[in-house]
Amino acid sequence: MKIKLTSVYVDDQDKALRFYTQVLGFAKKTDFSQGPFRWLTVASPEEPDGTELQLALNASPAAKAYQQALFQQSQPAAMFFTDDVKGDYERVKARGAEFTMPPTDVTGSTIAMLKDTCGNLIQLTQLARRKAK
Amino acid sequence: MTDREQYAPGPAGGAQVRKDGEKWTLILVRALRHSPDKVWQALTDPAQLREWAPFDADGSLGTVGATVQLTTVGAPTPHVTATTVTRADAPKVLEYKWGGFDMRWELEPVGAGTRLTLWTNIDRRFISMGAAGWHICFDVLDRFLSGAPIGRIVAGDAMRFGGWRRLNAEYAKQFGIDTRGSDV
Repeated sequence: MKIKLTSVYVDDQDKALRFYTQVLGFAKKTDFSQGPFRWLTVASPEEPDGTELQLALNASPAAKAYQQALFQQSQPAAMFFTDDVKGDYERVKARGAEFTMPPTDVTGSTIAMLKDTCGNLIQLTQLARRKAK
Repeated sequence: MTDREQYAPGPAGGAQVRKDGEKWTLILVRALRHSPDKVWQALTDPAQLREWAPFDADGSLGTVGATVQLTTVGAPTPHVTATTVTRADAPKVLEYKWGGFDMRWELEPVGAGTRLTLWTNIDRRFISMGAAGWHICFDVLDRFLSGAPIGRIVAGDAMRFGGWRRLNAEYAKQFGIDTRGSDV
């Protein structure tokens, strides 16, 4: 058994694809449709065969409620790891992303939080032990 | 070989795309040798939909105002959407939404048979796939109505099937689009 995929609900898959590729810098991995269902995933170019992120349409009331509740309570819907959170913060911000938290030192890591334009907060995390790299 | 194994779809045909800016509508026409009443039942009755349609319905689609859960068959994760039937003029016009898609069915008597037309909006990138999928569904529907059901062929079952790839390519050519953007 392996962990190969995680999902975020988004309110618009086209908008999500633009944000996750053009702003965050991920690459489209799989995109196909079956009836009104669209399976859409992205992966990191640093790890093309690594864990995929599914951009799932929040089509059901449960998905919408869950997504909104997380957002209202400032909970990130997904967390991405980086070796350079300050550099990524500057790069992603320059591409137009709206951060709700600049790089901030917390226990064991430095984190930043941004909006994904599709109803979610996304957290960028740099673990303290990786700073030496 | 079983009838299902022997089944091979004919050439692409009976489909056109109406392009209204970014909104594309797929229009599919199929002549069936069965009465509108009989076709109407197959379009609305959950048990009959299971024989040919790409979704399951948990109730009849034949009543205006009815709320019905539609389950996309064979989606990579369970995919259920609620729909409300907005028009049900038996046995002529049926309208509801499947997820974000408008679905309008029109049944016109032609002799003893029916000219069946489906209007549905599909994302332009997937429109030839949709046409290929519905083509196969309509073939299966025709066999079911003729009393020789072969079981529905949708989702992965359809895509694995050589005829589907050919139809997808043929419809893409007819619609003037390429399928290179598709990962399937």
